[in-house]
Amino acid sequence: MIKYLDLEYAWVLIPMSIGFFALMLLVVYLARIPIGYNIRNLIVRYRTTFLTAVAFTMVIGVLTFLMGFINGLKKLTLSSGNPENVIVLSQGATDEGISNLPFESMGDIAQQDGVVRFNDEPLCSREVYLVLSLPVAEPRPNSPSRRLLQMRGLYDPIASAKVHSFELLPGGSWFSEAGVRPSEDPNKPPQVEVVLGEGIARGLGSDRSEATRLAAKDPEALVVGDTIQLDRRELLVTGIMKTEGTTFDSEVWAKQSVIGPLLGKTNYTTLVLRATSKEEAQKLEDYFSGKDTNNKFEKSQVNALTETNFFKSLSQTNLQLLIGTMVVAAVMGFGGVMGVMNTMFAAISQRVRDIGMLRLLGFSRWRILVSFLVESLLIALLGGLVGCLIGYMFNGYKVTSIVSSGNGPAGKAVVFRIVVDWGVIGIGLMLSMMMGFFGGLIPALSAMRFKPLESLRG
Amino acid sequence: MKFFMLIFKNLRRNLLRSLLTSAGVMVLVFVITLIWSILGFLDIATSEKTSNFKGIVTEKWSIPSQMPFAYASTLENGAAREDTDEKPIDSMTWQFFIGSTEKGKMGFNSFLFAFCMEPKKLLTMMDELDSLQPGPRAELDKAIKEMEKNRQGILVGQKRLAALEKKVGDRIKIFGTNYRDLELECEIVGTFPLGRYDNNSCINRDYLNASLDAYKASKGKPHPLANKTMNLVWVKVPNKDTFTKVSGQIDNSPMFTSPPVKIETASSGVSNFLAAYKDLLTILRWVLAPSIIATLAVVISNAISINVRERRKEMAILKVIGFQPNQIVFLVLGEAILLGVVAGSISSIGTYFFVNRVLGGIPFPIAFFSSFPVLDGALWWGAAIGFATSFAGSILPALSTRSIKVVDVFSKVA
Repeated sequence: MIKYLDLEYAWVLIPMSIGFFALMLLVVYLARIPIGYNIRNLIVRYRTTFLTAVAFTMVIGVLTFLMGFINGLKKLTLSSGNPENVIVLSQGATDEGISNLPFESMGDIAQQDGVVRFNDEPLCSREVYLVLSLPVAEPRPNSPSRRLLQMRGLYDPIASAKVHSFELLPGGSWFSEAGVRPSEDPNKPPQVEVVLGEGIARGLGSDRSEATRLAAKDPEALVVGDTIQLDRRELLVTGIMKTEGTTFDSEVWAKQSVIGPLLGKTNYTTLVLRATSKEEAQKLEDYFSGKDTNNKFEKSQVNALTETNFFKSLSQTNLQLLIGTMVVAAVMGFGGVMGVMNTMFAAISQRVRDIGMLRLLGFSRWRILVSFLVESLLIALLGGLVGCLIGYMFNGYKVTSIVSSGNGPAGKAVVFRIVVDWGVIGIGLMLSMMMGFFGGLIPALSAMRFKPLESLRG
Repeated sequence: MKFFMLIFKNLRRNLLRSLLTSAGVMVLVFVITLIWSILGFLDIATSEKTSNFKGIVTEKWSIPSQMPFAYASTLENGAAREDTDEKPIDSMTWQFFIGSTEKGKMGFNSFLFAFCMEPKKLLTMMDELDSLQPGPRAELDKAIKEMEKNRQGILVGQKRLAALEKKVGDRIKIFGTNYRDLELECEIVGTFPLGRYDNNSCINRDYLNASLDAYKASKGKPHPLANKTMNLVWVKVPNKDTFTKVSGQIDNSPMFTSPPVKIETASSGVSNFLAAYKDLLTILRWVLAPSIIATLAVVISNAISINVRERRKEMAILKVIGFQPNQIVFLVLGEAILLGVVAGSISSIGTYFFVNRVLGGIPFPIAFFSSFPVLDGALWWGAAIGFATSFAGSILPALSTRSIKVVDVFSKVA
């Protein structure tokens, strides 16, 4: 069931929560419940009201924050995929890290109908995806001594940029046809030209020591002209890509013919085709992956997915986190319910005579029930709103994580922003109302069972 | 003793409130126990040991590391060339085989990740399996002997076995994903004990190597990955000095040039791999756990505040019959602490036994850990959290009892 949960539509929980609360107020109005009496009680017992609301605030604040984290990760994976792109991997591979495409089939795959032509060639990106364990040049105490670096070797950077719709920030340039340029020191091997995603430029920039950062052109991030040491080779930054909000933000791009042999991976892992339309992309997916049994690619066995579907398949991490968050939310919510139940039972035990008096004045049992439920919901609404506000304060905060298909230890390290949107706030408010409702229900049921005369006797 | 009985009776007097507060404490301590166990386990995995620690040898740059199998024997000896060179006390090689039981499809119910290694090393080199209790150890030993007898034998973790809908004794065909066009036919000869290896499998490395030879014989050319089959070599050394020497021997050996290799302590390797999860773990450690503890303190504080307000008259009577203000403070504190400590202990001790014995660990796949055990510390965490939060939550309401004036209380009564 969990896989059908979609935060995209969770915003409907906001009108639902407000609608539920409005319904309760309507009942209060129609049943002529003395709401002023309830509000005065909350004010008189301000310490208890405050402490209960604080418990709600903390539960909802944490939940909103965690949901914002998951929402950000999800939005990142969704925004990384172009529905007109088809990603081709080797058969059975669900992740680029374990894909090995047969060289001999690359041309045939790219030459299919439905692929956009660019300069009289099929518009596609031939790529090798590698993960490097790069030593941190100036490691800080208690910090990892190595950094995992995701590198993508490209056959033609211009075509790849067009396929992935990326541009360079002003002042940068794509790597040359050779992919290397002579080092200023003639005794050193040529420098390997690389282009960085914005996120990894900041990440590598922050790996530098304080002194180096202060002396650098940009203390926060690597910029054009900076270098990265990879064993005896120097990687020269020639450009920074506008990749924020995508999984490519954490990648380093270079010429495949240079880094492939350098790092021992001479074949391609990935072929990305730009189709003429979404429909054509879907047809290509069916054709290459063999879903269309009447018309399938016979020359080699490959796995093809539209880029949107590929990045959806990398949402397994999101699902795991979502399940974890739901468990935490349920448990913390239960703790909150116990808290509000305590408060409401105490409120009722202090007002036994009041309840007796109300009953004698003609208030029916169910009106007593509604009266106490509304009191509990008011505390929940107050605490929940403040909790959502605290969660919202983290909106846009940058964090790192991993996205993966969940099959094996492979995955992509990504930088993304926490997104606390209306959907997340809707979930927070709804949970808050539910906690208030269930926490108030049992005490309110016990209150409605009081007999008037016995209550007045105390 | 009488004082303790009074505390106990007071808690029993409002049983509903005591039970509600205890339930709140229990569920919140349950979550904290899980979070601290995950973080504690990762802390242990990333902290440097001083003796009998392991080093990992991998390809210097690429992940996943892919080295020729020809490196194995030299690396297992710590690249020792001279008699005076140091050698590891034990070692093991890992070759990863990723595949599916359905050709061309990779799904939750067909996926399989296997370590191809020498079966006997499972009991001496694999974390947690090297310290099994006699019962599970004997069972695993039996399966290992079976794997040595029948090199097509495979051990499959219990959860993976259930996902594949197979049982011990069944035969499975695994279609390679990382080793394209390589198919292994295996017989399931046993499972791992419930816990860390629930989703992993183990194949005899001789079978993988023989299958690669068979591929070459049938296709007339070696498999594209034939020279890159070894992913990791683990070496166990007695102390830091030996590690440094072995490390130097490997770094300076002319044997490992294409590709070059590196050696690092296991803790350093895990730590580097976990760097990508840094923010997630920071959130668990510094946002989630403290928030739950604070919520716990607030829930207890609320309950105790209500208690104190409701019992002003009783406390005034206690003062009249000779109780000192401090004794009343201790009475209120004692009630809160007793409740917190008992509920917290029940929760964390219960979590320890339930998660470890029944669930086989906390199912939270992160990096290459599929589940985490609840640590032994959980046996006292509950009591400590219960004590700390109930003390923090009740100290102010308890101190407020000092200001209760007998005259005020009884003048209102009159």
